[in-house]
Amino acid sequence: MFRKVLIANRGEIALRVISACKEMGIRTVAVYSEADRNSLHVKFADEAICIGPPPSKDSYLNVPAVISAAEIAGADAVHPGYGLLSENANFAEVCRASNIKFIGPPPEVTRMMGEKSTARQTMKAAKVPILPGSDGVLENEEAALVCAEKIRYPIILKAVAGGGGRGMRIVRTKEELPALFQQASTEALNAFSNGALYMEKFIERPRHIEFQVLADEHGNVMSLGERECSIQRRHQKLIEEAPSLQVTPKLREKLGKTIERSLRDIGYWNAGTIEFLMDEDGEIYFIEMNTRIQVEHCVTEMVTGVDLVKAQLRIAAGERLKDIVPEVPEIRGHAIECRINAEHAEKFTPSPGKITVYNLPGGNGVRVDTAQYAEGVVPQYYDSLIAKLICHGANREEAMNKMQRALSQFVVEGIHTSIPLHEKIFADEEFRRGEFDTKFMERFLERQKGKGRD
Amino acid sequence: MAAEDLQQLRELVEFLKANGIAEFDMERADLKVRLKFAGLQPPAAPAMDLSQLASAIAAQSAAAPAAATQAPVAVPATLPGATPVASAAAAAAEAGPEAGAHIVKSPIVGTFYDAPSPDSDSFVKVGDSVANGQVLCIVEAMKLMNEIEADAAGEIVKVYVKTGQPVEYGQPLFAIK
Repeated sequence: MFRKVLIANRGEIALRVISACKEMGIRTVAVYSEADRNSLHVKFADEAICIGPPPSKDSYLNVPAVISAAEIAGADAVHPGYGLLSENANFAEVCRASNIKFIGPPPEVTRMMGEKSTARQTMKAAKVPILPGSDGVLENEEAALVCAEKIRYPIILKAVAGGGGRGMRIVRTKEELPALFQQASTEALNAFSNGALYMEKFIERPRHIEFQVLADEHGNVMSLGERECSIQRRHQKLIEEAPSLQVTPKLREKLGKTIERSLRDIGYWNAGTIEFLMDEDGEIYFIEMNTRIQVEHCVTEMVTGVDLVKAQLRIAAGERLKDIVPEVPEIRGHAIECRINAEHAEKFTPSPGKITVYNLPGGNGVRVDTAQYAEGVVPQYYDSLIAKLICHGANREEAMNKMQRALSQFVVEGIHTSIPLHEKIFADEEFRRGEFDTKFMERFLERQKGKGRD
Repeated sequence: MAAEDLQQLRELVEFLKANGIAEFDMERADLKVRLKFAGLQPPAAPAMDLSQLASAIAAQSAAAPAAATQAPVAVPATLPGATPVASAAAAAAEAGPEAGAHIVKSPIVGTFYDAPSPDSDSFVKVGDSVANGQVLCIVEAMKLMNEIEADAAGEIVKVYVKTGQPVEYGQPLFAIK
């Protein structure tokens, strides 16, 4: 097992990893920017090294600074958390060259699964169902028209090098395709220096369902079931659940086996998540893979009892999956997570600043992952997530009731948070019935506006 | 615990208190020592240089190995160069001959070297006059030797770090007046 691990991250996930290391007797090294000097992840690590000024690009994303810190601290391994450098294949390569173990998959696999169209091709070759689409890059508009006829409208054009919604256009008829093709390509060229596009079938009311996997470095892969992540606003997840009401035990098993086989084929290591869209008919299609631990890993932990971060550390240290997770875990009960962001609950404007009151809920089946504290400061340089509130109950109804209770006891003053938004969502009929898709938030916010007018 | 060991443990604790050390950690085989100074105030005694402190503790602990192993003071500590030390150095700068001096801080994380090579003379020493842009030291990061230049002209009145010492971003290196 590693003697010392450097955590190349900040906030709640850095504290999560530090905590797992502490429980395993591993010494921890935190890195921080000047804006995070008084952070909890700095206070609770065994050692801490300042690596740069507040902006992420000069500190947390600064590969030489992070590697240099690992060298001077004598760390054996680096845990990259999520976001930041976690899916940066170059960073993983530099770790390898510097003889520091990167806790995650090999750089080649990260690179392969990080590029969207390569990932699709890879999964297709492994017989994972993928959204019908173009085989790679679309040469021109004519090729796009031919492809669209084959897979049938509506379709979506996406940038090969893209993300965050840019370089994307939904096309519903062949008449609109040529113009939209040009627009998407130009936008992609400006945003990512690469105007190449690919095409996928577009699902009007999809559900976002993802599967958690663990793979050791000896070719063993295990699927730990799914998470339902359809409650999103502008492609940012707000609420996640496990299990998904839409996934039957049969589908879970079948898809689980397909995923396991495909990840064995590509030589995947460590934790990862495979994202799917489910259409109105219950058909499920691969969209992308995240080669790291995710924000919402907690809901899987609650229903399976598996500590995913400890599993990551043990896998990276060379242990076998059968010693880490001896049996395929049963899915017990239902877990829901609310992402508590430092933002105005209705306007969604960021709300950095000093927290004056911070009262966390507790109790049976209530978990809070946070790195904030009373008198703590939320800096303006980083993402707005300040806490994750996770509730586990015997079934979805109980989990929702616990969440409502816990939200009512989660008191934060000094900044705005999304707590009031979550309280409204948990009182919403459509949400409670579980009949939602990724358009839920749009409809919900419309309903809220309507209520405002009455 | 034997009376003799207890006495040595007392001396170690007094030593730690006198030098404002809040946390102290020690491993055995290689003698690694880690320290964290208390709060933001400089210690009561003049800010001791870390290698002197390490030798002093090593001398103490060589005389009291049993005490050190059983010492309940062993608590995980912070790498020297984290907030408390940097602030202590800055605070000390207010008081001593460095009052009002310009502090040259490390722009990168790495290992500080005061000379171009192990057998050369150091780039600068206390009392030297330096020009803006003059190379003061090297900070090595990822096997690359980065020359750190003065961002002010004047006389070197203090050197805060020792050759071979790890430094973090923003850590005070020199005071120039």
